[in-house]
Amino acid sequence: MSDDLHTVSGAYALNAVEPDEAREFERHMSGCQACRDEVRELRATAAAMGAAEAEAPPAALKARVLQAAARQPQLPPVVTEVAPGKRRRRLAILVAAAAAVVAVVVGVVTTEVQHGSQLAQPVAAVFHAPDSQTVRVRTSNGGTLTVAVSHRLHEMAVDTHRLPPLPTAQVYQLWEMAGGHARSAGLVDNPAAGQAMPLPPRSTRVAITIEPAGGSVQPTTQPIVVLRPSQV
Amino acid sequence: MTSNPQLRLVQGEGDDIDGLLARVALGDSAAFGRLYDEVAGSVYGLARRVVRDPQRAEDVVQEVFLEIWRKAPRFDRRLGKAKTWIMTITHRRAVDAVRRNEAEKRHAEETTADDPIQQNPEDAMILAEEHVAVRDCLETLTELQLESVQLAYFNGYTYPQVATLLDRPLATIKTRMRDGLIRLRDCLQGAS
Repeated sequence: MSDDLHTVSGAYALNAVEPDEAREFERHMSGCQACRDEVRELRATAAAMGAAEAEAPPAALKARVLQAAARQPQLPPVVTEVAPGKRRRRLAILVAAAAAVVAVVVGVVTTEVQHGSQLAQPVAAVFHAPDSQTVRVRTSNGGTLTVAVSHRLHEMAVDTHRLPPLPTAQVYQLWEMAGGHARSAGLVDNPAAGQAMPLPPRSTRVAITIEPAGGSVQPTTQPIVVLRPSQV
Repeated sequence: MTSNPQLRLVQGEGDDIDGLLARVALGDSAAFGRLYDEVAGSVYGLARRVVRDPQRAEDVVQEVFLEIWRKAPRFDRRLGKAKTWIMTITHRRAVDAVRRNEAEKRHAEETTADDPIQQNPEDAMILAEEHVAVRDCLETLTELQLESVQLAYFNGYTYPQVATLLDRPLATIKTRMRDGLIRLRDCLQGAS
């Protein structure tokens, strides 16, 4: 590693590097975890310095900003195309939170349920339904999630045993999201058992967030994964 | 939201802002309004410090919040706190506004880091404990560290421009920006 290049991290965090050198440093960072960590920390430091300049904005500005935003669509979460499944359909899995890194479908799974004995009976029923379709997706916190949909049973189920374990103060919570609103679809009390739920309407997405133990009324963190069950 | 604009202590705002942004990502416009209340002071203050002109600072604020609204569904919390993301957008937009207008003559000698921060006493200040900590910690930097960091961050100069301005070698300025920020980071961590 070029020490010279590495030391540009401070200037880079201050957005004070000329474009060519910035691109060079970004290429270097892509293979340098220590550099990425350092830039992240120094950016937070610069942000704290900027935030300390706080000054009350003119009161009329808020209405202008909100009106402008109301006329703007939001960018969709990152959409990942999925390899053809057993029905040879292309599946689109919608994944919120963050670019590029999230929701790579690892594979469409037909023999996934080897540990099936631990799945709760309603969950196993969906996975074993004759018309069951199953996909596996990566979650943004480093786990994988297997999702099964049975239109015949009108049920959907998630196998959560490959999600990273949480401290006891936290729990995975399922959400149904539609029209900009989120509704709790239950807590994953036992990740090994998974969770089943009625198949949501077509326009609904299902998300999982990490919440304080006992769950939340509304999501308080970015989803680790967002699914569109109608496309499973 | 704040009926008393003179003084407002913001406590535990980090968690709050992350939670609000998560709801904005779901298209919740009420949460967006509350997010504005939480961070508009910092966004406007930084924009004002960088671009100077109040009207242009307002334009920057509007650009920043539109970007927050549009990109919230793609915010990656693993890359940092929501407040850092918002301030990074603010800084980039403000510096872009300044650099777009290179023809505009900026008088570097009037805006070095040694200048006291110009505050109109009529302006309502939003004070938070962490802001006081930042100002205390900035005082622990060497003069050259402070000048280098502030000329880059608040005046929008690149580090080669700062080196020219201060008549120092490039490598020196680059290094002072890094070790200055590291000292500030360590001081802030000790303060919290």
